[in-house]
Amino acid sequence: MSSLLDMRVIHKRYLTKDNLIRTSLMIVSLPIFIAFWWILALYFQGQNFYYLPTPLEVWDALVQAWTQDPATRLSLLANVYASLVRFLLGFLLALGLAAPLGLLLGYSRYANALAFPVIELLRPIPPIAWVPFLLLAASFFWGPILTIFIGVFFPVLSNVIFGVRSVDPLIIDAAKTQGANRWQVFSKVMFPSSIPYMMAGVKIGLGVGWMCIVAAEMLASQGGGVGAIIVGGQTVGRYDIMFAGMVTVAVLGILTLLIGSLIERRVKKWMGME
Amino acid sequence: MDGNGIILSIKNLVKAFPKDDTEMIAVSGFALDVKDGEFICLLGPSGCGKTTVLRIIAGLQSATSGELTLKGKPITGPGSDRGMVFQEFGLFPWRSVKKNVEFGLEVQGVDETKKNEISKRFIDLVGLSGFERSHPNQLSGGMKQRVGIARALASNPEILLMDEPFGALDAQTRNLMQKELLRIWQETKKTVIFVTHSVDEAVFLADRIVVMTGRPGKIKEIYTVTLPRPRDRGHPDFINLRKKILDELEQQRQGT
Repeated sequence: MSSLLDMRVIHKRYLTKDNLIRTSLMIVSLPIFIAFWWILALYFQGQNFYYLPTPLEVWDALVQAWTQDPATRLSLLANVYASLVRFLLGFLLALGLAAPLGLLLGYSRYANALAFPVIELLRPIPPIAWVPFLLLAASFFWGPILTIFIGVFFPVLSNVIFGVRSVDPLIIDAAKTQGANRWQVFSKVMFPSSIPYMMAGVKIGLGVGWMCIVAAEMLASQGGGVGAIIVGGQTVGRYDIMFAGMVTVAVLGILTLLIGSLIERRVKKWMGME
Repeated sequence: MDGNGIILSIKNLVKAFPKDDTEMIAVSGFALDVKDGEFICLLGPSGCGKTTVLRIIAGLQSATSGELTLKGKPITGPGSDRGMVFQEFGLFPWRSVKKNVEFGLEVQGVDETKKNEISKRFIDLVGLSGFERSHPNQLSGGMKQRVGIARALASNPEILLMDEPFGALDAQTRNLMQKELLRIWQETKKTVIFVTHSVDEAVFLADRIVVMTGRPGKIKEIYTVTLPRPRDRGHPDFINLRKKILDELEQQRQGT
């Protein structure tokens, strides 16, 4: 029986020709993009069209913004921190409400019947469409947070509902024959079964969340934020700073997604599902 | 027990499902008394209602009419006095072998030391020592079903219900698991009701074989198998009994 454990060790990755080609292409992908961008920027600037800075100019702007960007008068880290706080608050708020609600709506057909029409009505409204209202109704502090909240809430909710509904009926039967009552079936079977789906919702929510924060900050940005760098750069005519903000958002988006994937893998491993 | 050693009594069991505008009778007039410690096989073609009967005994489905009593008490729903083993295992994928086996104990609020002791006993019994921390996806089909059996036994049920438990296994593993099951049965002295569509399996395992016919599901014949264990599949008596039951199933198939 020990051969079963040995099998897991035999996971050697062979360097095939196909692998080699794909790796090389991935390595040259970004340089090609940057070169293309550079040529395009130089061409436009030659035509007296200054809105597209070269990569080098953006890099210099990033270096300048690191200490203090001319639009928000804050360091880059302070701006990133401002956005991160909004992001985390909105995200956690959404997770904290969508997960329990999703569990309830996935479990109870009556609760679902009551909530379904409202949810389906609200879901198609883009989070950004709420921004003008939120800026009037909520404070400058809560406005952007609630925008993120709306963006994260629906993907998490739908995934949790789907997760609860996707529980294998066989393991519910197994739990019942082991003497589990309704609450135990829910807490010990349906809830853990739905966690991987919840994580999928969280990953989608992470992506949507960043899109929302930038939009929200572009309209209202008390105390800076990465969106504020972009808007501020445009307002003062520093297009290199504007692009520096865009690059910052891209990096933050990638980092959050990586962290999300890492957590997802950890959870799956911890649950023995990978 | 009623003194006569009957642990499970089924009287005039009927199960009807609504189908279109009418009713489909899945099981009709099923009656059986099972003795304590007996190994019963419910045998029949697919769709004969044998799994339905088992699920009704488990309490996972309700009977349309009829009377089911376990140790004199009527069966009203699922409970830990009946352990069930499923064809597709039904293990909790996020739980380790140990945690799967302990599920029923956990649900009943058994304390930690007792849980450890019981799960160890049954993991040892099914031959999975050393795999306590493995998860189901790291186990072969045969090993998964060993976990299924240990889990069903850990709650100390009066009766073990098995729904084609070896149907998802390859032929060799299946034969091995049949021998293992008999060993476990003899060690634990549990009453077993085992659903199968394999005549060979039924003759190899059972004290009594309940042959069912389909549409509606009814008992056709009950065979008492007196062949001594371990049974030899090559023995003329084994071959004769198997042929007799196969012939009967074949007649039935042609008749309907």
